[in-house]
Amino acid sequence: MAAGEEGALWSIMGYLISGLLIWGGIGYGIDRWLGTHFFLLIGLLLGGGASLYLVWLRFGRK
Amino acid sequence: MKGTLNLVGYGLSAIGPAIATGMIFAAYISGVARQPEARSVLQPIAFLGFALAEALALFGLVLAFVL
Amino acid sequence: MRSFQYGSGGGFVPPSTSDFNLPPVIGHNPYTTKPIFLVVLSVVVISVFFLAASRKALVVPSKLQFAGESIYSFVRKDLGEEIIGHEFMRFVPFLFTLFTFILTNNVFGIVPLLQFPSMSHVSFPYVLALFTFVIFHWVGIRKQGLGTYLKGIAFMPGVPKLVYILLTPIEVATFFLVRPLTLSLRLFANMFAGHLLLLVFIMGGDHLIRGVVGLKLIAPFSFAFGIGMTFFEFLVQCLQAYIFTLLTALYIAGALSDEH
Repeated sequence: MAAGEEGALWSIMGYLISGLLIWGGIGYGIDRWLGTHFFLLIGLLLGGGASLYLVWLRFGRK
Repeated sequence: MKGTLNLVGYGLSAIGPAIATGMIFAAYISGVARQPEARSVLQPIAFLGFALAEALALFGLVLAFVL
Repeated sequence: MRSFQYGSGGGFVPPSTSDFNLPPVIGHNPYTTKPIFLVVLSVVVISVFFLAASRKALVVPSKLQFAGESIYSFVRKDLGEEIIGHEFMRFVPFLFTLFTFILTNNVFGIVPLLQFPSMSHVSFPYVLALFTFVIFHWVGIRKQGLGTYLKGIAFMPGVPKLVYILLTPIEVATFFLVRPLTLSLRLFANMFAGHLLLLVFIMGGDHLIRGVVGLKLIAPFSFAFGIGMTFFEFLVQCLQAYIFTLLTALYIAGALSDEH
């Protein structure tokens, strides 16, 4: 595969990691603050969805 | 021996995405090899499939650490 | 996290992270451990090799000159010119230094008697990734101006305004946190895991060969697998040096182009 494609794959992985990290981290913080348990899951799903949307914006549409 | 079972679970959950990624790129490479002009059509589909499979693997990684 | 204990009968101590914390060579000075000497040695090896290769440049190259020139032209053509584009010449010295430095330090992991990849200590990849981080942001800011550059990172065009709340933190985190972190951790984790794998098979074989007769018969397989894995490690080491340099070039290229 061409070098540009390899770079695109690593940057896709970077987006997914940071989406889960940021929104999952926010959910985890809210959980620690309020003493609940479900905001972490919401944050992870939100972050995963948002980063997949970002990947689609950057690499999916032509 | 000392360790945590969460990481065993993560290992199990990474099998599926690994197979999926392999199949996606096997299909992509053979598609481009047969018809090089189809690359621009196939590339976004392959990348989105890779992103979906990879997201599941990363979910497993994150949950192995936070649970 | 839930932990579980397993009976520790048998006496085989599996290799662990403590095998990477080598004692100081000279006295108790913590700055004289093996990785430090390996890094210094790598600088000497690289300098001597390329000075010798380029000292008497001939039109019909000698073997040494050919080896040096093919490494240089690989970095210059495949990593510089093809990816960065017409401004690539400014970055070739950095890319070339990065590639040869990482490659030499990685290959130290399988050179007999040295046998320790210095990149398996996470501080070295961190510093290298810090260089890349500063350079690609600096290049982008110089090229586009601070405001345009940050706006290009944070705001994806063609998205409804409300969605920016969701996307902007991810974009900013990707560029300022995840990129340098994954760049360094990928190199570190590959070197660390590779060295640990070799330790498991070689030390395991060593332990088996001291056991009873039945275990002695298994020991050669462990050693053979360890040697096979050594060749596989060489492949991984070259690949990781290549990927680190390739991603650096791609980040610089992304900062140079208008829509990253």
